Amino acid sequence: MKKRILGIKAKRVKYFVPLDRDKFMTVGVCYNLYIIGLKGKRKFVMHMESYRSKSLDETLKKLCECGDKACIIAGGTDIIIKIRDKKVAPKVMVDISDIDELRGIRDVGSQSEIGAATTFTDLVEANELKPNLKGLIDAAASVGSPQIRNMGTIGGNICNGSPAADTVPPLLALNSTAIISSISGLREIALEDIFLDKGYTQLKHDEILTSVRFPKLSENEVVTFSKLGPRNALAISKICLAVYIKKESGVVSDIRIGSGSLGKHGLREKNVEERLRGKKLDEAFIVEAVTAMEKELKNRLRGRSSLDFKLEAAKGVLENALVQAVEFFTKKEKAGDLIDKTKR
Amino acid sequence: MIKLNVNGKDYELEVDGTKRLLDVLRDDLGLTGTKEGCGEGECGACTVIMDGAIVDSCLLLASRCEGRKIITIEGLEREDGKLDPVQQAFIEKGAVQCGFCIPGMVLASKVILDKNENPTDDEIKVGLSGNLCRCTGYNKMVEAVKRAAEIRKEEK
Repeated sequence: MKKRILGIKAKRVKYFVPLDRDKFMTVGVCYNLYIIGLKGKRKFVMHMESYRSKSLDETLKKLCECGDKACIIAGGTDIIIKIRDKKVAPKVMVDISDIDELRGIRDVGSQSEIGAATTFTDLVEANELKPNLKGLIDAAASVGSPQIRNMGTIGGNICNGSPAADTVPPLLALNSTAIISSISGLREIALEDIFLDKGYTQLKHDEILTSVRFPKLSENEVVTFSKLGPRNALAISKICLAVYIKKESGVVSDIRIGSGSLGKHGLREKNVEERLRGKKLDEAFIVEAVTAMEKELKNRLRGRSSLDFKLEAAKGVLENALVQAVEFFTKKEKAGDLIDKTKR
Repeated sequence: MIKLNVNGKDYELEVDGTKRLLDVLRDDLGLTGTKEGCGEGECGACTVIMDGAIVDSCLLLASRCEGRKIITIEGLEREDGKLDPVQQAFIEKGAVQCGFCIPGMVLASKVILDKNENPTDDEIKVGLSGNLCRCTGYNKMVEAVKRAAEIRKEEK
């Protein structure tokens, strides 16, 4: 009889908080189960502090103080779900959504800077972004829904480390630098080096991503974006690609391709880029790009059940992004012709 | 202890700041017009207006809403007891069936019209894209938003 009861205990205790073994042995079964229930309940109440930070300095101090117990919250569209699913249990939530210095788009010398707490809506509605940054704007506009875009931030999109983050590929294609702050100072790293694995970045507990910077584009440069999701709104991308092209005297003098959902995190497709540099931007260029991409993905995704689908889909998405770039330059050249004619 | 401004009224509440705004609205303020659907920002049933923009209240910590203006579906009723043009239009066009998505849908529609007096079909569809409805098929809602734009103009 006694043994059977112990069996039940082992099962329950494993699930809830472990109890004092001696106490359990001496007290009656019902009473103990009652305590287990209580303890269990108590465990589900989150002991969490919400700290609304007003400045970057304040945030850095708080992060340094709390160490690994703290968690930064900006938009909250991912972290709140993780907390509710009990995937993470931070003791302190440091809310940075109110810090003005982390928000907005600025010019810093020859570079553009986007604050980490800038929302997707801010980006879509920004007047500072010129038409040749259309890839970045399209990516921001394709995130979630209006509600999510009003809350979610660029910094969160990066630091969450999701392979499907929409704004990461255009930022990679723009050769962005991540600006990271901690109480001991600033450091800058290439955005592509920030990702360690799916869901992991190299940010330490006392560090915060304050902004991303990329060189300003001139008239002969463009970045485009294309995404494949199950539907238009609220879709997590199955594949997304961004292409940066610099065109000089009819030739692609520089190209960078950023990809999403084609690896453990956002990636630069350098092998594909290499084969395309210095070539003429025409239909043959697109065919060659698509073939190079197919070859690259065949190696990377070997053994995956979704390989056949992903190959075909990625080819289409890349073609779409490249066609957008071709159209951009064609339009530009036509407008240029008009200006030339009026000058004459 | 947190301070909230909901539908123009100031509240001082003895609640945990790490509670979701949705829970504070429903449990502490009794404003049960705001619904919980998926609880993860996919369905838009919990939509509220914060400082003029729609947000999912299931993804917001209550502490984050301090100092901001929140409008829920209860806040649309006018002083003389009349319905908001959007609500009126939804009724006229038969855009309401089971009703669960409607509070969010109405608030999203209101923000569309606040930003743009004459939205096109596509602009309306993008504006409502964060709100799921499993009854109507959305056509009547698009019609209702257009009707609401008309009513708003008539009132001016």
